[in-house]
Amino acid sequence: MGLIQIGASILTALLVGALTRGTWRTYALLALSVLAVYWFQPVVPLRSFDFWLPSLSLALVVLVWFITSQISAWKSRINFIGLSIIIGLITLVDLTRYIFPQPFLTGTTPPQFIQFIVFVLIVSLAIFAFTYLSRNNVWLLSLATIFLLSILFILKSPTLSLQASIFFRSLANRPIENASALDLRWLGFSYIAFRLIHVLRDKQLGRLPELTLPEFATYVVFFPSLSAGPIDRAERFAGDLKKDFSLTQDETLLAGQRIIIGLFKKFVIADALALIALNDALAVQVHTTGWMWIHLYAYAFQIYFDFSGYTDIAIGIARLVGIKLPENFAAPYTKSNLTQFWSSWHITLTQWIRAYFFNPFNRWIRGYKSIPSWTMILIGQLATMLLIGLWHGITFNFILWGAWHGLGLFLQNRWSDLAKTRFNINNPRLQTAMQLGGVLLTFHFVALGWVFFALSEPSLSWQVLSVLSGVSR
Amino acid sequence: MRKLILLSFIIISAPALAACGASDADAPAKAVESYLTALVEKDGDRLPTLVCGDWEADALIELDSFQAVTARLDNLACSQTGTDGETALILCTGNIIATYNGEDQALDLSGRTFQVTQEGGEWLVCGTR
Repeated sequence: MGLIQIGASILTALLVGALTRGTWRTYALLALSVLAVYWFQPVVPLRSFDFWLPSLSLALVVLVWFITSQISAWKSRINFIGLSIIIGLITLVDLTRYIFPQPFLTGTTPPQFIQFIVFVLIVSLAIFAFTYLSRNNVWLLSLATIFLLSILFILKSPTLSLQASIFFRSLANRPIENASALDLRWLGFSYIAFRLIHVLRDKQLGRLPELTLPEFATYVVFFPSLSAGPIDRAERFAGDLKKDFSLTQDETLLAGQRIIIGLFKKFVIADALALIALNDALAVQVHTTGWMWIHLYAYAFQIYFDFSGYTDIAIGIARLVGIKLPENFAAPYTKSNLTQFWSSWHITLTQWIRAYFFNPFNRWIRGYKSIPSWTMILIGQLATMLLIGLWHGITFNFILWGAWHGLGLFLQNRWSDLAKTRFNINNPRLQTAMQLGGVLLTFHFVALGWVFFALSEPSLSWQVLSVLSGVSR
Repeated sequence: MRKLILLSFIIISAPALAACGASDADAPAKAVESYLTALVEKDGDRLPTLVCGDWEADALIELDSFQAVTARLDNLACSQTGTDGETALILCTGNIIATYNGEDQALDLSGRTFQVTQEGGEWLVCGTR
């Protein structure tokens, strides 16, 4: 989100918070979120994809709602209105090509109306078929999850993204030489997919409460958290929507304070640090140990202020409309061990992975009695952190970053167990010194991990690590 | 409920009807204007969506030639001067003002005719003469 989009989001949230009540607030938020899906989507070099990708996001939202909701809910007035708002607004976005001389809401001119009608028919047929089949086949929920994961896998893998771009270019008779892995920049899909998978999985486990389509769709594509999270839980979000809310002066001030802090973090601190933060070019150019540490520190703080700034902005805007989004950061660089760090960095992603991967995986692996417990811990931590690494992108460097943290968590786990039995420190000064040492050690471990995260190639990372350690100049 | 459905129908059908009746006689000229705008804005993502497949590589080369300068359009106006088979021929007036090191250089647009063809219902710039 740029400053204009943030400004417009604040203004519209203020209007919705001040002027709407009850169900009308949900409708207004749904409408704004649907429009934001198109407005926030960046232009991509494939023609009309900045219309098709957001349309597919919304189609997936509607599809997942139909296969996870009760048949009796389909005919309710509120769901009919919700569906009308979604289809009506998508249609209106497409029709803007005939109304405005320049693209409006989308970066490029939307496709012709006839193409849009064909798209709606195909999506309707797919939803109908999937919904009909899912009534008697619970495995279709798993199939939907696999489908979402497959799209995510393609988008996160540079090789597969490139192949997908070549495929779409071939279909459209475009030169494939200009294809790039960055051609398919699908805004917010990582977050949309994780929200949808959470709903599908909870439905399978029988713990998903009944949600109306407007509640469900607003939850998945809620405009403040569309591009950078946090990943809320559907039932918690719907609970906020159902609450009676009126925007008070105090609430406005608190939200405003949060937004201003977020803007300062993102656009002043993070953007300033970005000028000297570690990147591929600096990795090659800098040969001095001291300077390399400065660039690494700058990156560590830049990524924190950038991401937590966006989160503050999202939480602040959401607060204006009565939604209390979960926190994503809790002073992570002040934590004295890696487990605490991961409980305070990108909290909602970590909780998601813990709920839908780490805990089930641990339960499964504990079934194998012959495996020693330390091996189970190692496998569990490594697998979880590798998954978090892969969520950021399927590249060697993200795998190395995940492995770095997985091993770090394992070593910290072993050390904690050992320290509990061997050492009993009662001296308060020593405890403070240990705490401080833990904070410094954890921060530097995390900072060294960013060397893999920030750079594109393992060779560059090794080069930077050798300069940082003073081995090479 | 009925009022809401009626309102939705009107909201949707009004632009749809307008779309059916809309003339796209100046669409080829607008395609060239969009192309030139993307060019001076150095918008490498939008530019390929405005040109035909055969000319995409040339368009990106033209875009590269503007990378080192600041560019803007001055008094741009495009109109169709004729056709050549299914190709619309577009002539533009005005200039691209390219600024390098504080010095302006005007590139006259009237010196070349843009060829615009229709692909999948869209008018796309497909070369110059």
